[in-house]
Amino acid sequence: MEEAGVRNQEAQDAVDRASTYEWGFSSDIEQEFAPKGLNEDTVRYISAKKNEPEWMLEWRLKAYRAWLTMEEVSWAKLDIPAIDFQDAYYYAEPKAKPKLGSLDEVDPEILRVYAKLGIPIEEQKVLAGVEGARKVAVDAVFDSVSVATTFRKELEAAGVIFRSISEAIREYPDLVRKYLGSVVPQRDNYFACLNAAVFSDGTFVYIPEGVRCPMELSTYFRINAENTGQFERTLIVADKGSYVSYLEGCTAPMRDENQLHAAVVELYAHDDAEIKYSTVQNWYPGDAEGKGGIYNFVTKRAMCAGARSKVSWTQVETGSAITWKYPSCILKGEGSVGEFYSVALTNNRQQADTGTKMVHIGKNSRSTIVSKGISAGRSNNTYRGLVRVNAGAENVRNFTQCDSLLLGDQCGAHTVPYIEVKNPSAQIEHEATTSKISDDQMFYAMSRGLNAEDAVALIVNGFAKEVLQQLPMEFAVEAQKLLGISLEGSVG
Amino acid sequence: MLQIKNLHAEVDGKQILNGLTLSVGAGEIHAIMGPNGAGKSTLGYVLGGRPGYEVTEGSVRFLSVRHAGLDPASTFSSGGGEERWTPDQVRGDEDGEWIDLLEMEPDERAAAGIFLGFQYPVEIPGVSNVQFLRTAINAQRRARGEAELSAGDFLRMARAQGEALGVSMDMLKRPVNVGFSGGEKKRNEMVQMGLIDPRLAVLDETDSGLDIDALRVVGDGINRIMRKADKAVLLITHYQRLLDTVEPDHVHVLAGGRIVRSGGPELAHELEREGYGAIAG
Amino acid sequence: MTLLELPSARDESWRWSDLSSLPAIAGRQPAGTVPEALPWIDCGGEGPRLLFVDGKLAAEQSNLGSVELGTVTADPADHALARLVGSDGWKLRLGRDHAPTGLVQIVHVSTGGADHLPSEIELDVDAQASVVETYMGDGWINRLAHIRLLKGARLMLSRRVIGEGGYVSLSDRASVGEGASITVTTLAAGRADTRLDGRVVLAGEAAFAEVGGALLASGKQRHDANLVIRHEQRSGMSRQVWRSVADDAAICSVAARVEVARAAQKTDGEQSLKGLLLNRGATINAKPELEIFADDVKCAHGATVGELDRNALFYLASRGVPRDEAKALLTQAFVADAIDRIGEAAVREAFHQDAMAWLGASS
Repeated sequence: MEEAGVRNQEAQDAVDRASTYEWGFSSDIEQEFAPKGLNEDTVRYISAKKNEPEWMLEWRLKAYRAWLTMEEVSWAKLDIPAIDFQDAYYYAEPKAKPKLGSLDEVDPEILRVYAKLGIPIEEQKVLAGVEGARKVAVDAVFDSVSVATTFRKELEAAGVIFRSISEAIREYPDLVRKYLGSVVPQRDNYFACLNAAVFSDGTFVYIPEGVRCPMELSTYFRINAENTGQFERTLIVADKGSYVSYLEGCTAPMRDENQLHAAVVELYAHDDAEIKYSTVQNWYPGDAEGKGGIYNFVTKRAMCAGARSKVSWTQVETGSAITWKYPSCILKGEGSVGEFYSVALTNNRQQADTGTKMVHIGKNSRSTIVSKGISAGRSNNTYRGLVRVNAGAENVRNFTQCDSLLLGDQCGAHTVPYIEVKNPSAQIEHEATTSKISDDQMFYAMSRGLNAEDAVALIVNGFAKEVLQQLPMEFAVEAQKLLGISLEGSVG
Repeated sequence: MLQIKNLHAEVDGKQILNGLTLSVGAGEIHAIMGPNGAGKSTLGYVLGGRPGYEVTEGSVRFLSVRHAGLDPASTFSSGGGEERWTPDQVRGDEDGEWIDLLEMEPDERAAAGIFLGFQYPVEIPGVSNVQFLRTAINAQRRARGEAELSAGDFLRMARAQGEALGVSMDMLKRPVNVGFSGGEKKRNEMVQMGLIDPRLAVLDETDSGLDIDALRVVGDGINRIMRKADKAVLLITHYQRLLDTVEPDHVHVLAGGRIVRSGGPELAHELEREGYGAIAG
Repeated sequence: MTLLELPSARDESWRWSDLSSLPAIAGRQPAGTVPEALPWIDCGGEGPRLLFVDGKLAAEQSNLGSVELGTVTADPADHALARLVGSDGWKLRLGRDHAPTGLVQIVHVSTGGADHLPSEIELDVDAQASVVETYMGDGWINRLAHIRLLKGARLMLSRRVIGEGGYVSLSDRASVGEGASITVTTLAAGRADTRLDGRVVLAGEAAFAEVGGALLASGKQRHDANLVIRHEQRSGMSRQVWRSVADDAAICSVAARVEVARAAQKTDGEQSLKGLLLNRGATINAKPELEIFADDVKCAHGATVGELDRNALFYLASRGVPRDEAKALLTQAFVADAIDRIGEAAVREAFHQDAMAWLGASS
C-alpha cells in the first residue's frame, strides 16, 4: 500500500539509518582453539583447560550424551537455517581484543554511537579494543587504581561471592554443585543441554542470609572479564532474606564472530529473598539483508523456592538476528512473586520470539508480565508466553499486558499467549493491544518543535516507559538512548 | 432494635473498631459522624457481614419481628395508601426476638430486615436492576415464609418507587449500576431500599457524590421510606448537609474506632462549626 | 471404518485435545431409536426443517424447502477429523437478493457409532439466511461446513450441542466477501465432548465476522475450540466472544487467533475470552493469539480466568439473595454475554433456556 509506506517513511528511514554498523577492524589475533567440531573429546578438552574437578567433567559428559539423543525444536515462528554443529569451534582462549593504537583508528560512526550513548571516553577505549586501554580504563572510570580492589573488598566484607563460574567451580565446589542444574536441568531443552556440555564462561553469585548486596553487580565489573562467550552459564543464589540486583550486557553494539549463543541463566531464591535481573542487549543484528547476525538462544529460569521470594526479569533487547529467550519463574514458594518486563525492538530482517513462563505452584503467588514489542523494517516480533496455575495453587493473581507498536507496514507483531488454569480461586487477566504511531501524534509532537527522529524516539520511549522504569538507573538512561538511537536517522 | 456492645473489629489484620457501643431504638434516626479513617464504613460492613471484616470482640443483637407482609406500596405518603400495621409493629421494641447478628450470613441479615446502603454501589454487568431486585425480594420473602411477588406486581412497585426517586423505568431495565453516575447509583440504592422496605437501614455515606437537588431527592426518600415508628436508620455521614433534610434524633461522633461523644441534632451543627479535631480530640 | 490417524497433543493445534475415546465410540452400533420430542424452535415462519439420524435424512420428518441434498464441495484441508466426511451432504444455495425463507432448522441425532456429513452454504450477492443446527444423541457426530458469502450477503449460523454423551466435532471453513457478514454462535451445553475448528476468512473489504459461543463442561467433559479469523482486505471487523464454564473435573480450552494480512489496513479485531472455574479439579485453557502484519489496525484482545466477582456476590447477599442463588445469577449473566449475539429472538431464547438448564443441573 503506497499510502501506508509513505506515511511512515520518516520512521522507516530513521530506523534504517542507525541500524547499520560498519566496523573496520584489523585484527591481529593469536588464539588457541580446540579442534573444530563437537565430540566427547571436545568436552574433555574444555574441562581440562578449565582445571575442573572430576565431578564437573562427569556432569558435562552426561549432558553431552543426552544432547546426542535430543531433537532440535522448530515451533517458534522463526526461519532458522539449519545450524551445522560440527562446523564451529567450541573453545577458544579468551580473545585478546583487536589491538588498535588509539580511538582515532576506530570507525567514527561507532564513536558517534558511543558518544550518543553517553559512554565515557575511557570506556569506549575498552570496548573498541584500544591497546593498553583495559587497565587504564578501569582506573579512569572508577577513579583510582585500587577501585577494583576496593570493590572486591566491599563485597567480601558483606560475604557476597561474585566470581566467574570457572573460578567458583574451583573455589566453592560444594555450593556450585548444590545448585547447578537445579533450576534448568540438563535435559530441559536442546540448547540448554548443549550449554551444559560445553559452557566455558559465566558468572556465579551467592548472597548470604540477610545480606543486601551493597552494589549492583554487573558482568562489566568482573575482574577477569573474558569475552562474552558463546556458551555462558550463570548461576545466582540468594539465601534467606537477601537482595541482589544483577545487570547483564551493555548498550554498546557488540559484535562477536561466534554466531551461535546458547546461554543458560539459573536463579534460585530462598525465603524472603529478592533477585532483580536486568538485561540490556544490543547484539550485532546482521546487515540489512539479515546476513551475519547473531543467533541468540537463551534459557533463563528462576526458582522462587522460598516463601515470599521474588524474582524480576527486566530486558531491553535490540539487535541479534534471531532471538529465542523466555525468562521464566517457577513460583513454588507461598506468596512468591514473579515479574517480567520486556522491550524488544526488531528492525530489518530480525526475528524475535521471546516471552516468559510463569508457573504457579505455591498459594498466593503472584505474577506480572509487561511486554512491549516494537517492530520496524521487515522484522517479526513475537511474544510467546505461558501462565499456568496448578490445581493446588490457591489465590493466584496474574496480570499480563502485551503491547505491540508497528512502524511501517512491512513488519509483523504477534502474540501467542497460553493460559492454563486449574484452580478456581485464581484471577488471571491478559490484555494485548496493537498500534502504530499515528499521524496525529507525529504532527502534534512536531508542532511543538520536535523533529521527526526525536518525535519517534519520544513516542517510542513513552510506549516503553513502563519497562524502562524497572531498570536500575544507569541502565535505564542508557537504554532510553539506545532505543532512540536505534530509531534515529537523518530526515531530509 | 439494635444493640451494639463493645464491638472490636479488624480488616487485613488492622484493628479499626475499638470498643464501639451503641443502641438504636425503633422510630429513631441516628447519625454517625467522624473524620476519615475513624471506622465509619467498617461499622457498616461489619453490620452487613462483609467477608474480610473480622469481629474480635463484642456483640451485636438485633430485634427480629415478623414483617407481616407490609405492602411497600403503602409507604407512600401521597394520599390514599392505608398504613397497615399490626399492633405488634406499633409497639416496636417490645415484641420479637433478639438475635445474634454476627452469627448470620449477609443474606440472612437482609431477610431479617437489615439494609446496607453502600458507599460504592457495585456494578453487575449482565444482570438488570429489575431482575436483581425481584430475585432479592423474593428470596427474602421465601426466607420469611411469605408469598413471592408476581412479575406484574413487582414491576408496578418498581415503577412507582423509581418515579419517586427520579429513576426511570429505562434505567431500571439496565444492568445494575453499569454506566450510572455516582448520584444515579445512590438514587438506585434508594429505589432498592424502597422496594425491599427494611426495618433497619444502615446508610454509608449516602450523600457523597450528590448535588443539591439529588441530595434533597435522596433525603426525602429516606424520610418517606424509613421514618416510621417501627423502623430505624443509622446514617453514616461525613458532612452535615444531609442532616438538614433527614433530621436525626441522635448524633454520635466516631473517632479512633469508638464513639467518643453523643448528643442531639445540635451536635452536628457544633461539629460543622468547630471541626472534628476540636470535638473528637 | 477407516483407521483414525489422530494427531497427538504435541501438535500445537491439538495441544489440549483428547481424542482417545473416538475409536471406541465409532465402533459401537447405532441403536436407531429417535427421540419423540425433537427440539424444533417455534418461530412462526415456515422454514425448512431437516432431521438427520445417524447422518441420514429422515425424509418423513423433514421439509427441505430450499435446502438440497447432493454432492458438496468441502475441502477438509488436512484436518484429521474433517477428512472423513466424504462428499454427500446437504447444501443451501441462495441466489441474488434472496430474502429469508424462514429459519432453516437442522437437527442431528446420533443413536450410536459415528457419522460424517459435509455441508455447503453459498449465499449470492445480498442474499440472507438464518440457520440453526442442533446436535444430540450419544455417538460421534462429525461435520465439515463450507460457507461462502458473496458481496453483501448475511448469514446467521447458530449451533447447540445438547446431547447426553458422545462426541461432536465441527469444522467450518468460511469465506466472507465484500461488505458481507457472518455471525456464528455455538453453545455446548450437553454432556458431549466437543472439538470446534473454525477458519473464517474475510476475503473482501469491509467484511464482518462474529464468532463466539459458550462452552459449559461438567463431569469429565472436554470442550476444545480452535478458531482463526483471517483479515485479508481493508476495513474488516471481527469479534470473538467466548465464555467457558468448567465444573467437576472438566476441561474447557479456547484457542482463538486473529490474523491480519499485510493488505488488511484499518482492521478492527477484538477478542474476549473469559473462563469461570466452579471446582478445583476443573481446568480452563485460553490462547488468545494475534498475528499482525499491517500497522494501521485496531486489535485488542483480552482473556480473563477467575471466579465470580466477590463484591458482586456480597452485594447480592446484602440484598437477601442466598449464596447459591447469587452464584447462579452471576454465572447466567456470564454465559448470556456470549449468547446475546444471536439476532433471532426465538433462537436466542431457546439457547438461553438450554444454558440455564445446564447451569441449573450442574449447581
